[in-house]
Amino acid sequence: MTETAVTLKKFFETARDGRLTAIKCGRCGNLEIPPKEFCDACGQRDWKPLALSGDGTIASYTIIRVAPTKHAGDAPYAVAVVKLREGVSLFGRIVDIPLDRLAVGMPVRFRPLVIRNETAVGFGPA
Amino acid sequence: MRRVAVIGVGVTKFGKHDRTSAELFAEAARDALIDAELSPSAVQALYYGNVVGSETEKQLHTGPQAASVLGIPTVPTTRFETACASSHAAFRHATMEIAAGVSDIIMVGGAERVLNVPTAESTEYFAYASDASWEQTLGLTFPGVFALVARAHMAKYGTTEEQMAHVAVKNHRHGVLNPKAQFRKEITLDTVMTSPYIADPLKLYDCCPFTDGGAAVILASEEVARRHKRPIWVLGSAAASDYMLLHDKKDLSRVPATERAAAAAYRQAGLEPDDVDVVELHDCFTIAEIVATEGLGLFEPGAGGIAAEKGWTSLGGKIPVNTSGGLKAKGHPIGATGAAQIVEIVTQLRREAGQRQVDGAKVGLTHTLGGNTATVLVSLFGRD
Ligand SMILES: [Zn+2]
Repeated sequence: MTETAVTLKKFFETARDGRLTAIKCGRCGNLEIPPKEFCDACGQRDWKPLALSGDGTIASYTIIRVAPTKHAGDAPYAVAVVKLREGVSLFGRIVDIPLDRLAVGMPVRFRPLVIRNETAVGFGPA
Repeated sequence: MRRVAVIGVGVTKFGKHDRTSAELFAEAARDALIDAELSPSAVQALYYGNVVGSETEKQLHTGPQAASVLGIPTVPTTRFETACASSHAAFRHATMEIAAGVSDIIMVGGAERVLNVPTAESTEYFAYASDASWEQTLGLTFPGVFALVARAHMAKYGTTEEQMAHVAVKNHRHGVLNPKAQFRKEITLDTVMTSPYIADPLKLYDCCPFTDGGAAVILASEEVARRHKRPIWVLGSAAASDYMLLHDKKDLSRVPATERAAAAAYRQAGLEPDDVDVVELHDCFTIAEIVATEGLGLFEPGAGGIAAEKGWTSLGGKIPVNTSGGLKAKGHPIGATGAAQIVEIVTQLRREAGQRQVDGAKVGLTHTLGGNTATVLVSLFGRD
Protein backbone atom coordinates (compact mmCIF):
# COMPACT_ATOMS: atom_id res chain seq x y z
CA MET A 1 0.00 0.00 0.00
CA THR A 2 1.31 3.40 -0.98
CA GLU A 3 -0.17 6.68 0.16
CA THR A 4 -2.42 8.61 -2.22
CA ALA A 5 -0.02 11.00 -3.93
CA VAL A 6 -1.99 14.21 -3.37
CA THR A 7 -5.17 14.41 -1.31
CA LEU A 8 -7.80 17.09 -1.88
CA LYS A 9 -6.85 18.69 1.44
CA LYS A 10 -3.17 18.76 0.46
CA PHE A 11 -3.96 20.25 -2.97
CA PHE A 12 -5.91 23.14 -1.47
CA GLU A 13 -3.43 23.74 1.36
CA THR A 14 -0.64 24.13 -1.18
CA ALA A 15 -2.89 26.13 -3.50
CA ARG A 16 -3.59 28.55 -0.64
CA ASP A 17 0.17 29.21 -0.57
CA GLY A 18 0.12 29.94 -4.30
CA ARG A 19 1.30 26.61 -5.68
CA LEU A 20 -0.66 24.20 -7.91
CA THR A 21 0.15 20.50 -7.83
CA ALA A 22 -0.83 17.96 -10.45
CA ILE A 23 -0.10 14.23 -10.39
CA LYS A 24 1.86 12.49 -13.11
CA CYS A 25 1.68 8.77 -13.83
CA GLY A 26 5.11 7.15 -13.45
CA ARG A 27 4.14 4.41 -15.93
CA CYS A 28 2.52 6.22 -18.86
CA GLY A 29 3.17 9.90 -18.19
CA ASN A 30 -0.54 10.81 -17.96
CA LEU A 31 -1.05 14.11 -16.13
CA GLU A 32 -4.15 14.60 -13.95
CA ILE A 33 -5.63 16.92 -11.36
CA PRO A 34 -5.77 15.12 -7.97
CA PRO A 35 -7.18 13.25 -6.25
CA LYS A 36 -7.20 10.08 -8.35
CA GLU A 37 -6.43 6.59 -7.08
CA PHE A 38 -5.72 4.79 -10.38
CA CYS A 39 -4.49 6.21 -13.69
CA ASP A 40 -7.41 5.92 -16.10
CA ALA A 41 -5.03 5.82 -19.07
CA CYS A 42 -3.01 2.75 -18.01
CA GLY A 43 -4.81 1.40 -14.91
CA GLN A 44 -1.66 1.62 -12.79
CA ARG A 45 -1.12 3.37 -9.47
CA ASP A 46 2.20 5.16 -9.63
CA TRP A 47 1.51 8.88 -9.17
CA LYS A 48 4.22 11.47 -8.59
CA PRO A 49 3.34 15.06 -7.61
CA LEU A 50 4.23 17.63 -10.24
CA ALA A 51 4.34 21.38 -9.61
CA LEU A 52 2.39 23.38 -12.19
CA SER A 53 3.40 26.80 -13.49
CA GLY A 54 -0.11 28.25 -13.06
CA ASP A 55 0.01 29.73 -16.59
CA GLY A 56 -2.68 28.85 -19.07
CA THR A 57 -5.30 30.03 -21.52
CA ILE A 58 -9.10 30.18 -21.24
CA ALA A 59 -10.66 27.09 -22.90
CA SER A 60 -14.22 28.21 -22.07
CA TYR A 61 -15.82 30.74 -19.74
CA THR A 62 -19.18 32.04 -18.65
CA ILE A 63 -20.48 34.97 -16.65
CA ILE A 64 -22.84 33.80 -13.93
CA ARG A 65 -25.58 36.39 -13.56
CA VAL A 66 -28.14 34.31 -11.65
CA ALA A 67 -26.19 32.84 -8.76
CA PRO A 68 -26.93 30.30 -6.04
CA THR A 69 -28.01 31.81 -2.70
CA LYS A 70 -24.50 31.56 -1.19
CA HIS A 71 -22.86 33.45 -4.06
CA ALA A 72 -25.65 35.91 -4.87
CA GLY A 73 -23.66 38.83 -3.42
CA ASP A 74 -20.80 38.24 -5.89
CA ALA A 75 -22.91 38.18 -9.10
CA PRO A 76 -22.14 38.82 -11.87
CA TYR A 77 -18.91 36.83 -11.78
CA ALA A 78 -16.99 34.80 -14.34
CA VAL A 79 -15.81 31.22 -14.11
CA ALA A 80 -13.63 29.43 -16.64
CA VAL A 81 -12.03 26.17 -17.59
CA VAL A 82 -8.37 27.03 -18.10
CA LYS A 83 -6.01 24.86 -20.13
CA LEU A 84 -2.69 25.02 -18.27
CA ARG A 85 0.66 25.11 -20.06
CA GLU A 86 1.44 21.56 -18.89
CA GLY A 87 -1.68 20.20 -20.65
CA VAL A 88 -4.18 19.65 -17.82
CA SER A 89 -7.21 21.87 -17.35
CA LEU A 90 -8.43 23.51 -14.15
CA PHE A 91 -11.73 25.16 -13.27
CA GLY A 92 -11.55 28.54 -11.56
CA ARG A 93 -13.08 31.94 -10.82
CA ILE A 94 -11.86 34.86 -12.97
CA VAL A 95 -10.59 37.85 -10.98
CA ASP A 96 -9.34 41.32 -11.97
CA ILE A 97 -10.22 40.95 -15.65
CA PRO A 98 -13.10 43.09 -16.96
CA LEU A 99 -15.98 40.75 -17.88
CA ASP A 100 -16.37 42.26 -21.36
CA ARG A 101 -12.73 41.55 -22.20
CA LEU A 102 -12.91 37.80 -21.61
CA ALA A 103 -12.27 35.56 -24.63
CA VAL A 104 -11.49 31.95 -25.41
CA GLY A 105 -7.70 31.68 -25.78
CA MET A 106 -6.95 34.60 -23.41
CA PRO A 107 -3.80 33.99 -21.31
CA VAL A 108 -4.41 33.92 -17.54
CA ARG A 109 -2.43 33.04 -14.41
CA PHE A 110 -3.43 31.14 -11.27
CA ARG A 111 -3.98 32.94 -8.01
CA PRO A 112 -5.39 31.49 -4.81
CA LEU A 113 -8.77 32.67 -3.60
CA VAL A 114 -10.51 32.31 -0.28
CA ILE A 115 -14.30 32.30 -0.65
CA ARG A 116 -16.27 32.01 2.60
CA ASN A 117 -13.20 30.50 4.35
CA GLU A 118 -12.76 27.85 1.65
CA THR A 119 -9.70 27.86 -0.58
CA ALA A 120 -10.62 27.99 -4.25
CA VAL A 121 -8.91 28.32 -7.60
CA GLY A 122 -8.75 31.77 -9.16
CA PHE A 123 -7.28 33.07 -12.41
CA GLY A 124 -6.17 36.66 -12.98
CA PRO A 125 -4.34 38.52 -15.76
CA ALA A 126 -1.23 36.72 -17.09
CA MET B 1 -32.91 -12.67 -22.00
CA ARG B 2 -36.65 -11.95 -22.28
CA ARG B 3 -38.16 -9.16 -24.37
CA VAL B 4 -39.60 -6.24 -22.40
CA ALA B 5 -42.45 -3.90 -23.32
CA VAL B 6 -44.08 -0.75 -22.02
CA ILE B 7 -47.77 -1.51 -21.44
CA GLY B 8 -48.94 1.61 -19.59
CA VAL B 9 -47.98 5.28 -19.32
CA GLY B 10 -49.08 8.27 -17.28
CA VAL B 11 -47.92 11.82 -16.68
CA THR B 12 -49.24 14.76 -14.66
CA LYS B 13 -49.68 18.23 -16.02
CA PHE B 14 -46.25 19.90 -15.67
CA GLY B 15 -45.98 23.25 -13.90
CA LYS B 16 -46.64 24.44 -10.37
CA HIS B 17 -48.51 22.14 -8.01
CA ASP B 18 -49.52 22.38 -4.38
CA ARG B 19 -49.08 18.63 -3.84
CA THR B 20 -46.05 16.65 -2.64
CA SER B 21 -43.87 14.80 -5.13
CA ALA B 22 -45.28 11.51 -3.79
CA GLU B 23 -48.79 12.67 -4.65
CA LEU B 24 -47.69 13.82 -8.10
CA PHE B 25 -46.07 10.46 -8.79
CA ALA B 26 -49.16 8.61 -7.53
CA GLU B 27 -51.38 10.53 -9.95
CA ALA B 28 -49.14 9.62 -12.92
CA ALA B 29 -48.83 6.00 -11.74
CA ARG B 30 -52.61 5.72 -11.30
CA ASP B 31 -53.10 6.88 -14.90
CA ALA B 32 -50.47 4.37 -16.07
CA LEU B 33 -52.33 1.54 -14.29
CA ILE B 34 -55.63 2.63 -15.86
CA ASP B 35 -53.90 2.84 -19.26
CA ALA B 36 -52.49 -0.69 -18.82
CA GLU B 37 -55.82 -1.98 -17.44
CA LEU B 38 -53.93 -3.40 -14.48
CA SER B 39 -54.77 -3.60 -10.81
CA PRO B 40 -52.14 -2.14 -8.43
CA SER B 41 -51.69 -5.62 -6.93
CA ALA B 42 -50.14 -6.80 -10.23
CA VAL B 43 -47.11 -4.52 -9.71
CA GLN B 44 -44.10 -6.42 -8.36
CA ALA B 45 -41.61 -3.59 -7.81
CA LEU B 46 -41.25 0.18 -7.96
CA TYR B 47 -38.13 1.79 -9.43
CA TYR B 48 -38.31 5.49 -8.64
CA GLY B 49 -36.48 8.71 -9.52
CA ASN B 50 -36.37 11.71 -7.21
CA VAL B 51 -33.46 14.11 -6.89
CA VAL B 52 -33.76 17.15 -4.62
CA GLY B 53 -36.54 15.92 -2.34
CA SER B 54 -34.12 15.97 0.58
CA GLU B 55 -33.76 19.74 0.06
CA THR B 56 -37.07 21.07 -1.27
CA GLU B 57 -39.33 18.73 0.73
CA LYS B 58 -36.87 17.80 3.52
CA GLN B 59 -37.66 14.23 2.55
CA LEU B 60 -35.41 11.19 2.17
CA HIS B 61 -36.60 7.65 1.49
CA THR B 62 -38.96 8.95 -1.16
CA GLY B 63 -39.35 5.51 -2.79
CA PRO B 64 -41.47 3.83 -0.11
CA GLN B 65 -43.27 7.14 0.47
CA ALA B 66 -44.32 7.24 -3.19
CA ALA B 67 -45.29 3.54 -3.14
CA SER B 68 -47.37 4.09 0.03
CA VAL B 69 -49.27 7.03 -1.43
CA LEU B 70 -49.90 5.06 -4.64
CA GLY B 71 -51.23 2.12 -2.61
CA ILE B 72 -48.55 -0.51 -3.22
CA PRO B 73 -46.69 -0.19 0.12
CA THR B 74 -45.32 -3.73 0.29
CA VAL B 75 -43.51 -4.07 -3.06
CA PRO B 76 -39.72 -3.75 -3.13
CA THR B 77 -38.95 -0.10 -3.88
CA THR B 78 -35.69 1.57 -4.83
CA ARG B 79 -34.97 5.23 -5.41
CA PHE B 80 -32.45 6.09 -8.12
CA GLU B 81 -30.42 9.29 -8.17
CA THR B 82 -28.41 10.10 -11.28
CA ALA B 83 -29.33 13.80 -11.21
CA CYS B 84 -31.68 14.68 -14.09
CA ALA B 85 -31.40 11.16 -15.58
CA SER B 86 -32.75 9.44 -12.44
CA SER B 87 -35.97 7.88 -13.72
CA HIS B 88 -34.29 6.82 -16.98
CA ALA B 89 -31.67 4.98 -14.89
CA ALA B 90 -34.57 3.45 -12.93
CA PHE B 91 -36.14 2.39 -16.24
CA ARG B 92 -32.96 0.68 -17.46
CA HIS B 93 -32.60 -1.33 -14.26
CA ALA B 94 -36.27 -2.36 -14.32
CA THR B 95 -35.82 -3.47 -17.93
CA MET B 96 -32.90 -5.67 -16.91
CA GLU B 97 -34.84 -7.18 -13.98
CA ILE B 98 -37.67 -8.21 -16.27
CA ALA B 99 -35.33 -9.36 -19.05
CA ALA B 100 -33.52 -11.54 -16.48
CA GLY B 101 -36.80 -13.19 -15.45
CA VAL B 102 -36.80 -11.91 -11.87
CA SER B 103 -40.06 -9.94 -12.21
CA ASP B 104 -42.87 -9.75 -14.76
CA ILE B 105 -44.40 -6.33 -14.09
CA ILE B 106 -42.56 -3.27 -12.74
CA MET B 107 -43.70 0.31 -12.18
CA VAL B 108 -41.05 2.88 -13.14
CA GLY B 109 -41.39 6.57 -12.61
CA GLY B 110 -40.34 9.67 -10.81
CA ALA B 111 -41.47 13.00 -9.44
CA GLU B 112 -40.04 16.28 -8.31
CA ARG B 113 -41.25 19.32 -6.47
CA VAL B 114 -39.17 22.50 -6.63
CA LEU B 115 -41.50 25.45 -7.20
CA ASN B 116 -42.28 25.56 -3.47
CA VAL B 117 -38.86 27.20 -2.87
CA PRO B 118 -37.41 30.48 -4.27
CA THR B 119 -35.38 30.36 -7.54
CA ALA B 120 -32.03 31.19 -5.86
CA GLU B 121 -32.59 28.24 -3.52
CA SER B 122 -33.49 25.76 -6.27
CA THR B 123 -30.53 27.06 -8.31
CA GLU B 124 -28.33 26.12 -5.37
CA TYR B 125 -29.86 22.63 -4.96
CA PHE B 126 -29.47 21.87 -8.67
CA ALA B 127 -25.82 22.96 -8.41
CA TYR B 128 -25.30 20.15 -5.86
CA ALA B 129 -24.98 17.91 -8.94
CA SER B 130 -21.63 19.60 -9.65
CA ASP B 131 -18.54 18.92 -7.55
CA ALA B 132 -18.69 20.35 -4.01
CA SER B 133 -14.94 20.99 -3.55
CA TRP B 134 -14.03 22.35 -6.96
CA GLU B 135 -17.17 23.77 -8.55
CA GLN B 136 -19.82 24.63 -5.96
CA THR B 137 -17.25 26.61 -3.95
CA LEU B 138 -16.80 28.87 -7.00
CA GLY B 139 -20.52 29.38 -7.55
CA LEU B 140 -20.93 27.25 -10.66
CA THR B 141 -24.60 26.89 -11.59
CA PHE B 142 -26.36 24.42 -13.86
CA PRO B 143 -26.84 27.04 -16.60
CA GLY B 144 -23.15 27.83 -16.04
CA VAL B 145 -22.13 24.25 -16.89
CA PHE B 146 -23.94 24.36 -20.22
CA ALA B 147 -22.78 27.90 -20.90
CA LEU B 148 -19.23 26.51 -20.77
CA VAL B 149 -20.28 23.77 -23.20
CA ALA B 150 -21.93 26.38 -25.44
CA ARG B 151 -18.87 28.65 -25.51
CA ALA B 152 -16.62 25.69 -26.39
CA HIS B 153 -19.03 24.57 -29.14
CA MET B 154 -19.20 28.11 -30.54
CA ALA B 155 -15.40 28.43 -30.52
CA LYS B 156 -14.87 25.05 -32.20
CA TYR B 157 -17.70 24.97 -34.76
CA GLY B 158 -18.94 28.54 -35.12
CA THR B 159 -22.32 27.71 -33.58
CA THR B 160 -24.27 30.93 -32.96
CA GLU B 161 -26.59 32.21 -30.25
CA GLU B 162 -29.26 32.54 -32.94
CA GLN B 163 -28.97 28.84 -33.84
CA MET B 164 -29.46 28.00 -30.17
CA ALA B 165 -32.49 30.30 -30.08
CA HIS B 166 -34.06 28.25 -32.91
CA VAL B 167 -34.15 25.24 -30.56
CA ALA B 168 -36.19 27.19 -28.01
CA VAL B 169 -38.60 28.54 -30.65
CA LYS B 170 -39.13 25.03 -32.07
CA ASN B 171 -39.70 23.37 -28.70
CA HIS B 172 -42.17 26.06 -27.64
CA ARG B 173 -44.01 25.53 -30.95
CA HIS B 174 -44.22 21.80 -30.15
CA GLY B 175 -45.26 22.50 -26.55
CA VAL B 176 -48.37 24.32 -27.74
CA LEU B 177 -49.59 20.94 -29.05
CA ASN B 178 -49.04 19.12 -25.73
CA PRO B 179 -51.84 19.55 -23.15
CA LYS B 180 -49.47 18.43 -20.35
CA ALA B 181 -46.77 21.03 -21.15
CA GLN B 182 -45.85 23.77 -18.68
CA PHE B 183 -45.64 26.43 -21.44
CA ARG B 184 -48.15 26.33 -24.28
CA LYS B 185 -47.24 29.57 -25.97
CA GLU B 186 -45.26 30.20 -29.14
CA ILE B 187 -42.25 32.47 -28.85
CA THR B 188 -40.26 34.29 -31.52
CA LEU B 189 -36.53 34.32 -32.22
CA ASP B 190 -36.58 37.90 -30.97
CA THR B 191 -38.10 36.82 -27.62
CA VAL B 192 -35.13 34.52 -27.07
CA MET B 193 -32.46 36.86 -28.41
CA THR B 194 -33.59 39.83 -26.30
CA SER B 195 -34.08 37.87 -23.06
CA PRO B 196 -31.54 38.60 -20.31
CA TYR B 197 -28.34 36.55 -19.92
CA ILE B 198 -28.45 33.97 -17.14
CA ALA B 199 -24.94 32.61 -17.79
CA ASP B 200 -23.44 34.05 -21.00
CA PRO B 201 -23.95 32.97 -23.77
CA LEU B 202 -27.15 31.37 -22.40
CA LYS B 203 -30.13 33.64 -22.00
CA LEU B 204 -33.34 33.14 -20.04
CA TYR B 205 -35.11 31.52 -23.01
CA ASP B 206 -32.20 29.12 -23.63
CA CYS B 207 -32.97 27.53 -20.24
CA CYS B 208 -35.65 25.04 -19.28
CA PRO B 209 -37.87 26.10 -16.37
CA PHE B 210 -38.11 24.75 -12.84
CA THR B 211 -41.09 22.38 -12.79
CA ASP B 212 -43.22 20.26 -10.47
CA GLY B 213 -44.57 17.03 -11.93
CA GLY B 214 -44.62 13.25 -12.03
CA ALA B 215 -44.45 10.54 -14.69
CA ALA B 216 -44.80 6.76 -14.72
CA VAL B 217 -44.48 3.83 -17.12
CA ILE B 218 -45.33 0.17 -16.57
CA LEU B 219 -42.93 -2.44 -17.91
CA ALA B 220 -43.86 -6.06 -18.55
CA SER B 221 -42.38 -9.28 -19.84
CA GLU B 222 -43.29 -10.39 -23.37
CA GLU B 223 -45.72 -13.01 -22.03
CA VAL B 224 -47.66 -10.40 -20.05
CA ALA B 225 -47.34 -7.76 -22.78
CA ARG B 226 -48.86 -10.04 -25.44
CA ARG B 227 -52.14 -9.92 -23.49
CA HIS B 228 -52.19 -6.13 -23.84
CA LYS B 229 -53.57 -4.33 -26.84
CA ARG B 230 -50.62 -2.16 -27.89
CA PRO B 231 -47.27 -3.06 -26.32
CA ILE B 232 -44.33 -0.85 -27.23
CA TRP B 233 -41.13 -2.86 -27.17
CA VAL B 234 -37.88 -1.83 -25.51
CA LEU B 235 -35.32 -2.47 -28.26
CA GLY B 236 -32.29 -1.25 -26.31
CA SER B 237 -31.40 0.62 -23.13
CA ALA B 238 -27.89 1.72 -22.24
CA ALA B 239 -26.08 3.97 -19.76
CA ALA B 240 -22.70 5.66 -19.88
CA SER B 241 -20.78 7.93 -17.57
CA ASP B 242 -17.96 10.41 -17.82
CA TYR B 243 -15.69 12.39 -15.50
CA MET B 244 -17.78 14.34 -13.03
CA LEU B 245 -15.55 17.42 -13.01
CA LEU B 246 -15.68 19.79 -15.95
CA HIS B 247 -11.92 20.29 -15.87
CA ASP B 248 -11.27 16.55 -16.23
CA LYS B 249 -13.19 16.38 -19.52
CA LYS B 250 -11.03 16.35 -22.61
CA ASP B 251 -13.32 18.35 -24.92
CA LEU B 252 -16.14 20.52 -23.53
CA SER B 253 -17.85 20.80 -26.92
CA ARG B 254 -18.84 17.13 -26.81
CA VAL B 255 -20.66 14.79 -24.44
CA PRO B 256 -18.80 11.46 -24.79
CA ALA B 257 -21.28 9.72 -22.46
CA THR B 258 -24.04 10.41 -25.01
CA GLU B 259 -21.90 8.94 -27.79
CA ARG B 260 -21.10 5.80 -25.76
CA ALA B 261 -24.64 5.21 -24.49
CA ALA B 262 -26.07 5.74 -27.99
CA ALA B 263 -23.58 3.34 -29.57
CA ALA B 264 -24.49 0.65 -27.00
CA ALA B 265 -28.25 1.17 -27.40
CA TYR B 266 -28.07 1.08 -31.23
CA ARG B 267 -26.00 -2.11 -31.00
CA GLN B 268 -28.52 -3.80 -28.67
CA ALA B 269 -31.36 -2.85 -31.02
CA GLY B 270 -29.50 -3.67 -34.22
CA LEU B 271 -30.40 -0.19 -35.46
CA GLU B 272 -28.64 2.90 -36.77
CA PRO B 273 -29.39 6.60 -36.28
CA ASP B 274 -31.12 6.70 -39.70
CA ASP B 275 -33.68 4.14 -38.48
CA VAL B 276 -35.04 6.49 -35.78
CA ASP B 277 -38.31 8.30 -36.57
CA VAL B 278 -38.85 10.40 -33.44
CA VAL B 279 -36.60 11.53 -30.59
CA GLU B 280 -37.12 12.89 -27.08
CA LEU B 281 -33.79 14.23 -25.86
CA HIS B 282 -32.43 16.20 -22.95
CA ASP B 283 -32.75 19.88 -23.88
CA CYS B 284 -32.19 21.30 -20.38
CA PHE B 285 -30.55 24.14 -22.33
CA THR B 286 -30.77 24.84 -26.05
CA ILE B 287 -27.09 23.99 -26.54
CA ALA B 288 -27.71 20.62 -24.86
CA GLU B 289 -30.15 19.71 -27.65
CA ILE B 290 -27.65 20.73 -30.33
CA VAL B 291 -24.83 18.68 -28.78
CA ALA B 292 -27.18 15.70 -28.17
CA THR B 293 -28.36 15.57 -31.81
CA GLU B 294 -24.68 15.27 -32.76
CA GLY B 295 -23.83 12.72 -30.06
CA LEU B 296 -26.79 10.52 -31.02
CA GLY B 297 -25.48 10.42 -34.59
CA LEU B 298 -28.47 12.30 -36.06
CA PHE B 299 -26.09 14.96 -37.41
CA GLU B 300 -22.32 15.28 -37.85
CA PRO B 301 -20.34 16.91 -34.99
CA GLY B 302 -20.72 20.67 -35.43
CA ALA B 303 -23.86 20.39 -37.61
CA GLY B 304 -26.40 20.46 -34.75
CA GLY B 305 -26.73 24.24 -34.85
CA ILE B 306 -27.36 24.26 -38.59
CA ALA B 307 -29.93 21.45 -38.21
CA ALA B 308 -31.84 23.55 -35.66
CA GLU B 309 -31.69 26.63 -37.87
CA LYS B 310 -32.91 24.75 -40.97
CA GLY B 311 -35.85 23.18 -39.11
CA TRP B 312 -34.61 19.62 -39.63
CA THR B 313 -35.54 18.75 -36.02
CA SER B 314 -39.00 20.29 -36.19
CA LEU B 315 -42.29 18.38 -36.58
CA GLY B 316 -42.45 17.71 -40.32
CA GLY B 317 -38.64 17.94 -40.57
CA LYS B 318 -36.05 15.26 -41.32
CA ILE B 319 -36.05 13.91 -37.72
CA PRO B 320 -38.55 15.45 -35.30
CA VAL B 321 -36.94 16.12 -31.91
CA ASN B 322 -38.86 16.84 -28.70
CA THR B 323 -42.40 16.69 -30.06
CA SER B 324 -43.61 17.00 -26.44
CA GLY B 325 -42.08 20.47 -26.22
CA GLY B 326 -39.00 19.00 -24.57
CA LEU B 327 -37.66 20.07 -21.20
CA LYS B 328 -37.77 23.64 -22.54
CA ALA B 329 -41.55 23.93 -22.99
CA LYS B 330 -43.02 20.76 -21.49
CA GLY B 331 -40.97 21.40 -18.34
CA HIS B 332 -38.27 19.57 -16.36
CA PRO B 333 -39.35 18.01 -13.03
CA ILE B 334 -35.91 16.41 -12.81
CA GLY B 335 -36.75 13.11 -11.12
CA ALA B 336 -39.66 12.56 -13.53
CA THR B 337 -38.03 13.68 -16.77
CA GLY B 338 -36.61 10.36 -18.03
CA ALA B 339 -39.97 8.62 -17.53
CA ALA B 340 -41.87 11.55 -19.08
CA GLN B 341 -39.73 11.31 -22.22
CA ILE B 342 -40.62 7.61 -22.48
CA VAL B 343 -44.32 8.50 -22.07
CA GLU B 344 -44.05 10.77 -25.12
CA ILE B 345 -42.24 8.20 -27.29
CA VAL B 346 -44.74 5.46 -26.34
CA THR B 347 -47.59 7.86 -27.21
CA GLN B 348 -45.94 8.57 -30.58
CA LEU B 349 -45.35 4.90 -31.39
CA ARG B 350 -48.95 4.07 -30.47
CA ARG B 351 -49.92 6.84 -32.94
CA GLU B 352 -51.87 8.60 -30.21
CA ALA B 353 -50.05 11.94 -30.21
CA GLY B 354 -52.84 13.86 -31.95
CA GLN B 355 -51.71 17.12 -33.54
CA ARG B 356 -48.07 16.46 -32.74
CA GLN B 357 -48.08 12.91 -34.19
CA VAL B 358 -45.07 11.99 -36.35
CA ASP B 359 -46.59 10.19 -39.36
CA GLY B 360 -45.78 6.51 -39.48
CA ALA B 361 -43.43 6.58 -36.46
CA LYS B 362 -42.03 3.06 -35.96
CA VAL B 363 -38.84 3.60 -33.94
CA GLY B 364 -38.37 6.13 -31.14
CA LEU B 365 -35.41 7.15 -29.00
CA THR B 366 -35.12 8.77 -25.58
CA HIS B 367 -31.95 10.44 -24.27
CA THR B 368 -31.55 11.74 -20.72
CA LEU B 369 -28.52 13.50 -19.32
CA GLY B 370 -27.59 13.87 -15.66
CA GLY B 371 -25.49 16.50 -13.92
CA ASN B 372 -22.28 17.88 -15.44
CA THR B 373 -22.76 15.70 -18.55
CA ALA B 374 -21.48 12.83 -16.37
CA THR B 375 -24.47 10.46 -16.75
CA VAL B 376 -26.35 9.64 -19.94
CA LEU B 377 -29.09 7.09 -20.64
CA VAL B 378 -30.29 6.23 -24.14
CA SER B 379 -33.18 3.86 -24.90
CA LEU B 380 -34.77 2.73 -28.15
CA PHE B 381 -38.40 1.69 -28.62
CA GLY B 382 -40.40 0.03 -31.38
CA ARG B 383 -43.92 -1.12 -32.21
CA ASP B 384 -45.10 -4.45 -33.58
ZN1 LIG C 1 -0.79 5.79 -16.43
